[in-house]
This record gives sequence, structure tokens and C-alpha cells, in this order.
Amino acid sequence: MDKQMELLQGTLDMLILKAVSLGPLHGYGVLLRIQQISKDRLEIQQGSLYPALYRLEHQGWITSEWGESENKRKAKYYRLTAAGKRKLQTEAEKWNRMADVIAGILQSTPEEV
Amino acid sequence: MRLWSRVRSWVRAVARRSRMEREMDAELRFHIEAFAEDLVHSGVPREEALRRARIEFGGVERAKEECREARGANFIESFIQDLRYGLRMLRRNPGFTAVAVITLALGIGANTAIFSVLYAVLLRPLPFPQPEQLVQLGAGLERGQPSGYVTGPQFVFCQDHAAPVFDSMAGFQAGPLLGLKQQDKVNWLTSQRVTEDFFRVIGVNPAFGRGFRREDMQPGAPLAVVLSDYAWRNFFGAKTDVVGTQLKLNEDAYTVIGVLPRGFNFVEQPTEVYVPLQFSDTLGDRGTNTRMIARLKPGVSIAQAQTDMNIVFQQFPAKNSGLLVGDYQRWLAGDFRASLILLFGATGLLLLLACLNVANLLLSRGSFRGREIFIRMAIGAGAARLLRQFLTEALLLSLAGAAAGLLAAHWVLGALVSSIPFNFSWAGPVRIEGSVLLFTLGTLLVTTVSFGLASYWQTTRGGGFATAREEGMQTQTGASHGRVRSVLMTCEIALSFALLVGAALLGESLYRLYQEKLGFDPDNVVTMRTAALPTKNLTSEQMWNSEQQLLQRIQSLPGVGSASVVTVTPLTRQANMPVQVFGMDDDEHSFGGTEIRAISEDYFQTMRIPVLEGRAFLQTDGAGSLPVALVNETLARRWWKGRNPIGQRIVIGSYKGRKLFSGPEIAPREIVGVVSDVKGMLLTRPAPPMVYIPATQKGDMLSSSTAWVVRTVGRIDIMPSLRRALAELNPEQRVTEMRSMREVIAASIAGQSFISLLLGVFAGVALVLAAVGIYGVLSLVVAQRTHEIGIRMSLGAERRQVLKLFVGQGLMLALAGAGIGVVIALGLSRFLSSVLYQIRPTNFLPYVVAATVSIVMALLASYLPARRASRVDPMVALRYE
Repeated sequence: MDKQMELLQGTLDMLILKAVSLGPLHGYGVLLRIQQISKDRLEIQQGSLYPALYRLEHQGWITSEWGESENKRKAKYYRLTAAGKRKLQTEAEKWNRMADVIAGILQSTPEEV
Repeated sequence: MRLWSRVRSWVRAVARRSRMEREMDAELRFHIEAFAEDLVHSGVPREEALRRARIEFGGVERAKEECREARGANFIESFIQDLRYGLRMLRRNPGFTAVAVITLALGIGANTAIFSVLYAVLLRPLPFPQPEQLVQLGAGLERGQPSGYVTGPQFVFCQDHAAPVFDSMAGFQAGPLLGLKQQDKVNWLTSQRVTEDFFRVIGVNPAFGRGFRREDMQPGAPLAVVLSDYAWRNFFGAKTDVVGTQLKLNEDAYTVIGVLPRGFNFVEQPTEVYVPLQFSDTLGDRGTNTRMIARLKPGVSIAQAQTDMNIVFQQFPAKNSGLLVGDYQRWLAGDFRASLILLFGATGLLLLLACLNVANLLLSRGSFRGREIFIRMAIGAGAARLLRQFLTEALLLSLAGAAAGLLAAHWVLGALVSSIPFNFSWAGPVRIEGSVLLFTLGTLLVTTVSFGLASYWQTTRGGGFATAREEGMQTQTGASHGRVRSVLMTCEIALSFALLVGAALLGESLYRLYQEKLGFDPDNVVTMRTAALPTKNLTSEQMWNSEQQLLQRIQSLPGVGSASVVTVTPLTRQANMPVQVFGMDDDEHSFGGTEIRAISEDYFQTMRIPVLEGRAFLQTDGAGSLPVALVNETLARRWWKGRNPIGQRIVIGSYKGRKLFSGPEIAPREIVGVVSDVKGMLLTRPAPPMVYIPATQKGDMLSSSTAWVVRTVGRIDIMPSLRRALAELNPEQRVTEMRSMREVIAASIAGQSFISLLLGVFAGVALVLAAVGIYGVLSLVVAQRTHEIGIRMSLGAERRQVLKLFVGQGLMLALAGAGIGVVIALGLSRFLSSVLYQIRPTNFLPYVVAATVSIVMALLASYLPARRASRVDPMVALRYE
């Protein structure tokens, strides 16, 4: 599966939360990490990343502070808050349940119905 | 917690807007640069790397906009941004802004000013407890309202039988001026004769002492008087022990029983003392001349009260004399009500016109703003965002217009109120108060939304792209834009046409009033009234002697040509009595409301009223000689139908054989002449039947006041010397209503003049607005078609043809507008019928006038742009890009 998949509606927030849960990241870093974990299989609109970050910060799931980047430049780093951690947990559970249900439906055969 | 972080982020966003903008810039820049850096590491040249990074990232501005929105502070923030932007736009087009704001200020100002008056007179509750329970009753209809007047027997019957729906009811009559002699001075107090429950109906209790009781109302009971606070303070030294004391008013002794509280004023007339109204069985009290008001029981409606009255009055002895119940405030407003509603409607049209004008301006400007809007849309402004910006701009414009309008209204309100000829002092002060402001705010909202939507619709319809492309290519802006503006223009002209028709109708009606035949020569005549302290023992002869003395004094004043005494001067009031032909007791030969004028022998000469047949009065027509009379043409025609009435006899004070006063037989009078008709109280009514008698023969028809007419030789101001002479002769005399006859006439049609004037002003403003509109639209068309004009002219079109083309366009607008205007005017003019005199609202002439004025206006307004077009230099125009 080399072709990049488009992101499902509403999943970007969850991916960002997951990405920053592994350690503080700046916006570009979030992008790189998601691509890295997904092995470049997900296509993320770069422009839509920042509104999502701002939205999550506004909702209190993540906080930000200015720090120094790998190549000694000022960058804004995002970190998961305690509330964000809980949110990520519930979102992940929800997602897994949903995936199970949908997978179950898709695997069903005519005899089962 | 979450709420807190939300608030914090919001506060931070608003408070540190610029910092966050900077941070956002830095963050996005970092992203793109870091991305480019990585690309460079993978071997892409630096320049190319940056370019690719930008393309990969997508629209930076759109992302920023979404970030701002995500941060949650967007509304306030973008509002502030819009405000700044809007202000900048308005500043950048000072001409547009000034015209739009002035136009709106005119519309909103006129509306606010008229609404302030309308609110005070028609909407603001009367200053009494539970004013909604107050009603007035009348024996007949007057302009669709109960007349407010009943007969004595009707009142008494009503009081005795109609208790279930009424809490209380009161009858009253304006009383005579009562002379209160104190030391050497006579103070004249205005009085009101009222029935027992008067104060209860109004809802006022005496500050101390008591109000009237049943026993005060019995004929023959000791006379009681209730003082107003004003009288108590000014004439009785504000002493509380005044209650119970006796005082003499005119020749009668009264006991003071109470004093009314401070701040209470009777709405109908300023009244200083209240005395009992006792009904007698004379014809006088049987006349319909008692004012009647009542207070409904809580929860009873006027309709219920009416139903009840209809049932109750089935038992009333006389047939067809039920009473009608009506709203009290509406009665108080009287004729003013119709005028106010009319004027308010006119200002509504004016405001609509102003809005159309501003909308038109916005559209014209909008076509120049296409490029700007296109850019904004291209860099990511959504439809909602654009709409919000247009609304903000409209709000700024409307706010400025409303503020200027309020200022203007505040500024003209005093002048407006003092020039209103209707008496509405009962309504209290007219102010721009809360409710009025609320009204203005409503207007503002409507204008804001409509302008905002207009701008939005203009720029987005057809898409910003199309507009921008057109702009870029400098072709003619979409023909449909021009069409929309033409439609708006046509509506403007139609509205101004309708207002013009209204003004012209009123103008013609006023002209007809001035053309009314008065029956006398009003130039160089001064009138006045005097009131002497009546004394019981004074005979009519003695009284006439004192008047005679005064008359001689006045006649001897330098500049006086002739002077006379008369009961009542024309166009001021009525003074009527029943009169019948002697010996003929049938219906046809009695007339209840015959106007009676007791005059000195020079009256006809002073007023220049022609004596048509027989003779005027002579000095020999004295108290002891044969009782004589003159009748006017109308009465002569009514009773003698072309036969000569001279030598016939009439009886004044007798109706179908019934006498007005109890007492000895009234001697019949012999008619010695017929005089030309003279107007009665109203200029708008035909001359009433009138009988003249010599003042020397007034007999018992005494009244405490007399009117005077003084004709000067040439135009001189006789008033100062008149006043001096009167004061010298009798300092106790009260002189009122000293006015020139021209002023009296003007006052009698002041209501008409007032609304004609105001409507004329409104129509004028409307005309100017429409002219500005035509001018603006055509100027724009000329500017847009310069290129085309250049081509036409280089192909041989003459200047005259170009001129004709554009003037023709203005003319077409005017014709279309006038066409629609006729329909609007016909639809609205029926509201005018109540204020028009002797012309129908569909009268032809005003429409012709309005059409002519509209067309001339359109020609003038389109001439300037057309001339500019005709002077276009083809060479310049062709290069014009």
C-alpha cells in the first residue's frame, strides 16, 4: 500500500494528541512524527495542521511554549496536558470500538444476517 | 477547567492580539523554513526548496484565518478588524460618506422628530392613574369619534342608570373667568364647572380639605369651590387654614372646601378653580354642551361599555339619543391625530427614499470595489466573513447617520413643537426619550441590515471573479448592475413623486381656504376681548353705557377709523341660541343654533360688511324703542326663500314655541335689514344663519366679556395705544386676544398651514434626494461609458446627440418613476382626505404639478453628467483605460 490515504474526517485531532503524547513537538515536528509513525501512508494537508493545533490548545488538551529547535531556532512546542491525556485515552477507546464494529459489519457474510 | 482555559485563551487573544499575530507568523514561517531545510538536505536547491515548501503548505492566509477562528477570539477580533477597515473605507471616500450620512441623517432625523411628537401625543399614557380606563362619551359622532359632548339630561340619566360598567363618571363645562377682588386688584381665575365625581374620574384627591359631594350639587346649596395648587399659592398665600373660609368670586359667595395637590393640572384647560356644575331645566342645559368623561371599571373594555350603554339608553325618554363611548386620549388628540399619522407616514416615505439613495450609492461604489473584494475572496475570505464586513460597514454608516439624525432631531424639536398650532399641552413635554430612542435604534437596525445585504448581494452575485475581470478589462460594468440602480432610482422618483402629490394637494387645499369668502374686509382690523367684573345690580343699560364710553375713547385715538363692539368676532368662537319666526311653532321655522351678534351701530361699517336690503342699526334703536334685528342672507333664504324678510318678526331664545329661559314673554323683534353672509367660527364651514341685534337692546343676554373690532386708517400698529387707553379707563378690565384680523384668520387655518408646510418641506427634501440620486447614477454611467462615448464621437456622433442620449436616460427614469408614483400616490392619498379641504384626493392638478416638477428635476439632474459626456475628447477617451 504505497499510495497515501486521505485522512478520515475528525481523526487529525486524535493523531496530533497521540503525536505530542510521545514528547513535546513543534508543528512541523507533529507533521513529521505522524508521517513517520504512519510510514508515509497518510496524507496530511499542512495548512490544516495549524488550525487543529490552535483548536486543541483552545480546548485545553495541549499547551504550548516557545523553545529552541534542533537547529537552534525558536520554535513553538506543544505538549499534552493531563486533560489531553484523558481525552486521548477516551478517543482511542472510542476509535477502537468503532473500528471493531465496522470491521465486524464489513466481514459479515449473508448467512450471518 | 476547560472553561477556564477557553476564557484564558479568549482573553489572551483579545488582549494580546498583535503578539499572537506575530507568534502565528513566526510559527508558520518556521514550519515552511524547516520543511525547506529538509528539502535542501535531500538535495533540492534552496530557491526551489522554499518554493516547493510554500506550495506544499497551501494558502498561508487561509490557514491563518482558520487558526484565528480556531482560537475562538475571532468574532470580536474580526469585528475590530472590520471596524478599522470600514472606517478606512469611509475615510477614503469622504464625498460618498458625507452624502450617505447626510441623506440618512435627514431621513432618520425627520422620523425621530415626528415620532417624538407622535409618541407624546398618541402613545404615551396620560398622566393619571390607570389612564387606560378613561373614556369620553358623546351624543354624536365627529370625524368617526364620539363628539365628547352630551346634554344635561343625558348626563343625569347616564349617572343614574349606567353604573355596572363605570367606576365613576363626570360632566363638566368650561366656566367663565371668575373675578376675585383682593384689595384694589381683580384677579381673573379660570374656572371649570364640574359634577360630583370629577376628581374621582381623573384620579386625583385634594391635598387637603375635600372634593365635591352630592349635597354641593343640589340647586340652592351653598356654593363650594376647590382651589388648584396654583390659585392656592398665588392668591391665598399657601395658607392651610384657607379651607372653610368664604370668598367672593364675581358677585357670589363661595366656601373653599379643598385644595388640589401640586403638579395636578387638568388636561383640557388650565383651570384655577373648580365650582359645582348644577343642571337646571332650561333649554341651555338641554343643549349638547356638557363635556363628559368616565372611568371604566377595571377589565371593562370600551366595546363592552358601549354595549351596556346601548341597552341602558333604550329606556331614555328621547329617541335616538344613545351615548357613544370612545378613547379619551384619542379625543384629546382630536384633529392632530390624523395630521400626525399623516406626517409620520410622510417621514417614513422619506426614510425609505433616503435608504434607497444610500443603497444606490453603495451599489455605485460597489462596482468600483470589485477588485478589492476579489482579492479578499482569493486570499481566503469566506462568504460569511464578507457579509460580516459589509454589515460592519453598513453599521458604521447607519450609526453615523443615526447620530447625526438624532442631533438634527434634537435641534429642530423645539422649533417643531412650538410651531405646532394644535393644542397638545395636555400631552406634557415632547422629548427624545427612551421609547423614541428605541424607535431610532430599530430604524438603525433596519438600515444596517438592508445596506449590508445590498452591498453583499451586489458584490457576490455573479461572483467576485466576474467583477474583477470586468474591472481589469475596463469594460462597462455588468449591464445588470446598471439595471438594478435604475430600478432603485425609479423607486426613489416614485416616492418623491408621491410626497410631491401630497404636498401639492395640501397646498391647493390651503389655497382654497385662503380663497374662501370671509364676508368682511380683514385688512387693518384689530380685534380684542375685554372682560369687566360683572356686578349683579348693573343693568344692561349701565353696562352698555360703560362700553359706549370705552368705544368713544377708542374712536378718538389717532389712527382709528372706526371701532365697534360685537359679542363674538368671526372665526373665533360660537354664540348661538334658538331662534324662531314669531308665531310659527313648526319645525321649519325654528333653528336651534342661530348665531347671535349684539353689535354697536358702526359694526357693518367697521368690518365692511355690505347691508343688502333695508338699513343698518341707528342710534335711535335704543333700549326703549322697538326691538329690531338684521338677518344674514343664509337665514333670510332659509325662512323666507326669496321673499323680502323686512318687516317680519322673529323671537330670539324660543324654539318651536318653547322658551329658553323661564321668565316673562320675550318680545319679538322686527327685521329691518338683510346683511351679507359672514363666516362663523370655522372658515371651513359655510356661513351659519345669523341674527344681529343692537347692543343697546341686549337686555338679559348679558355676558361678562365683549369683543371689539377696530379699523385703523392705513397700516399702523394701534395695539400699544389701545392697551394704554383701556388701562387708563378701567384698570380692573381684563384684555385678552388682542390680535390683527389677519392673525385671527391665520390661526383659524394654522393646522392646515402647518401640515402643508411640513409636507412641503419633506417633498422638497425628497426631491433633492432623488435629484442627487439621478445625478449620481448618470455620472457613474458617463464615467463607465467614456470609452464608448469616445468611439461614438470618433465615428461622427455629435455632442448634441450625446447630450440627448444621457438627458434622455434621466428623463426615462423620471417618467417611469412618475408612472409608479401616480399609483403610490393614488393608493396613499385616501389617507389625506381627512385633512383636505374641498378637494378630492384624486384631484387632477396636483398630479400635473408633481409630474412637471419631477421631470424638470430629472432634466436638471441629468444635464450636468450629460454635458460632461458631451464634452468628452474622443482622443482622450479612446486612450482612457
